[in-house]
Amino acid sequence: MDTIIQLKNVSFAYETEEEEKTLAVKNVDLEVRRGEFLAVVGHNGSGKSTLAKLFNAIHLPTEGQVLVEGMDTADEANVYDVRRRVGMVFQNPDNQIVATIVEDDVAFGPENLGVPAAEIRERVDDALRAVGMYEYRLYEPHKLSGGQKQRVAVAGIIAMRTDCVIFDESTAMIDPKGRREVLETVRKLNRELGITVIFITHFMEEAALADRVVVMDGGSVAAEGTPAEVFADTALLRRTGLELPPAAQLAAALRENGVALDGDTLTPETCADALFRAAQKAGVV
Amino acid sequence: MAVLEVRALSHSYGAKTQLQVRAVNNVSLRVEAGELLGVIGHTGSGKSTLIQHFNGLLTPSAGEVLLDGENIFKDKQTTHAARFRVGLCFQYPEYQLFEETVYKDIAFGPRNMKLADDEIDRRVRKAAQFVGLPDALLNKSPFDLSGGEKRRAAIAGVMAMEPEILVLDEPTAGLDPKGRDTILNLVENYRKETGSTVILVSHSMEDIARLATKALVMNRGEAALFGTVDEVFSQGEKLVSMGLDVPAVTRIFLSLHARGVPVRTDVYTTEQATAEYLRLLGKGARV
Repeated sequence: MDTIIQLKNVSFAYETEEEEKTLAVKNVDLEVRRGEFLAVVGHNGSGKSTLAKLFNAIHLPTEGQVLVEGMDTADEANVYDVRRRVGMVFQNPDNQIVATIVEDDVAFGPENLGVPAAEIRERVDDALRAVGMYEYRLYEPHKLSGGQKQRVAVAGIIAMRTDCVIFDESTAMIDPKGRREVLETVRKLNRELGITVIFITHFMEEAALADRVVVMDGGSVAAEGTPAEVFADTALLRRTGLELPPAAQLAAALRENGVALDGDTLTPETCADALFRAAQKAGVV
Repeated sequence: MAVLEVRALSHSYGAKTQLQVRAVNNVSLRVEAGELLGVIGHTGSGKSTLIQHFNGLLTPSAGEVLLDGENIFKDKQTTHAARFRVGLCFQYPEYQLFEETVYKDIAFGPRNMKLADDEIDRRVRKAAQFVGLPDALLNKSPFDLSGGEKRRAAIAGVMAMEPEILVLDEPTAGLDPKGRDTILNLVENYRKETGSTVILVSHSMEDIARLATKALVMNRGEAALFGTVDEVFSQGEKLVSMGLDVPAVTRIFLSLHARGVPVRTDVYTTEQATAEYLRLLGKGARV
């Protein structure tokens, strides 16, 4: 799998009035692989949102280098191309919709790219179908739920034919039903269209669905690996102020009580499967 | 006697117009003093409309709200008094911070109650202490605080009114696991130490399961379920059918049960689920 975004020894400091610079991101080396679903977790202030904004040139590194498809984000001549390849969905669904009709909002990106009108029509329709919002194309955005608004924002990005979408806590402000809708949409785009996903979240059950998880702590990468690897390290979770996904908490409690569970137990589905197998083995089903 | 009683309350937005929407429909409930009522429901289920009646911000289209047995809409004075007796903390309350200093912001409520300066000072410091904001932060601008601190300052502002009932609408929305636990613990400590009644609106069934004594499930403007946490959460299938997010352990046990494993499905905490699974295996829980 080739690399779509590469961070080489990246540090970032916010400019403050007192001139004392605190590093929000410190010496991060990280590769984002094309087509992967990468989750980034960490407590508030761990640097994960700052990191997200370094991926598509919203922030430029104070030190080190960010390369998107080999293009240095610090080179102003590249910013346009970088943003076209890497889009971002923000936290607040009400802060990122610009038009008064859903399909106009989705068309905003491709219009800015100078895409011909007939192709815009096609891209907007495709994008709205991909996120399951085609029937809502003529709605006013303010009449949609939080989850629907976030899906419109996603459509706006994929209509620009971006290769990679960053979700900066895009599920934090919406209800569980909306979260499920957004997450299902994201997984579908990742699987079916091969779009690279960088998913920044506080919800461990969402991170459990990723291909790979990066744990941020104090501005640095504290760990990275598959969800199974990361969530197996309880000392790491405690140290970084994180917790196990709820299903894994149950599995851990059962293992502590001497129940042998095999395989993955990170999601309710896989945990239920493991409990079912264990019950069969014990001859109680 | 119930500290809060709601009798057959209905509320319509845009009444007498073509766009009339019935947001709350014939809801009745009783909350005893010192209880923690958890309110669950989708966006648009009527939760927020309902709680805005508890302190008289909204006037019901039909029905009554009683505080200590007295209808708060009986006259203007009683409605006005309800504003201070029931403290309402909205979603993302940190967006409502506006004063020059954290101290002044927390003092805003008590000052509106026309209390004496020394009483205001006592309340501000006590509330700040409750939410874990050190004295050094009180003279800072609220905008210099971190996200979690802002949230706690806003909650302190409501606590400083020392309401009999504290209503918190999604107090943990958008927080990380640690921030969420901090807020929930301080709410629980506040309730235990002051004996106040707390009403907690949350999307997290796990949080409600952990803290609440009673639970209300709102669905399409109606009180779909109301009772003790046990009574409500034991109806996992019904909750799922309303499209609500039941705790992960409940989902796991519903799935096992559907596959013919003889387990109870009325489990909603990790402890209960562990005990029930060990019972199934004939092991007996050590927890």
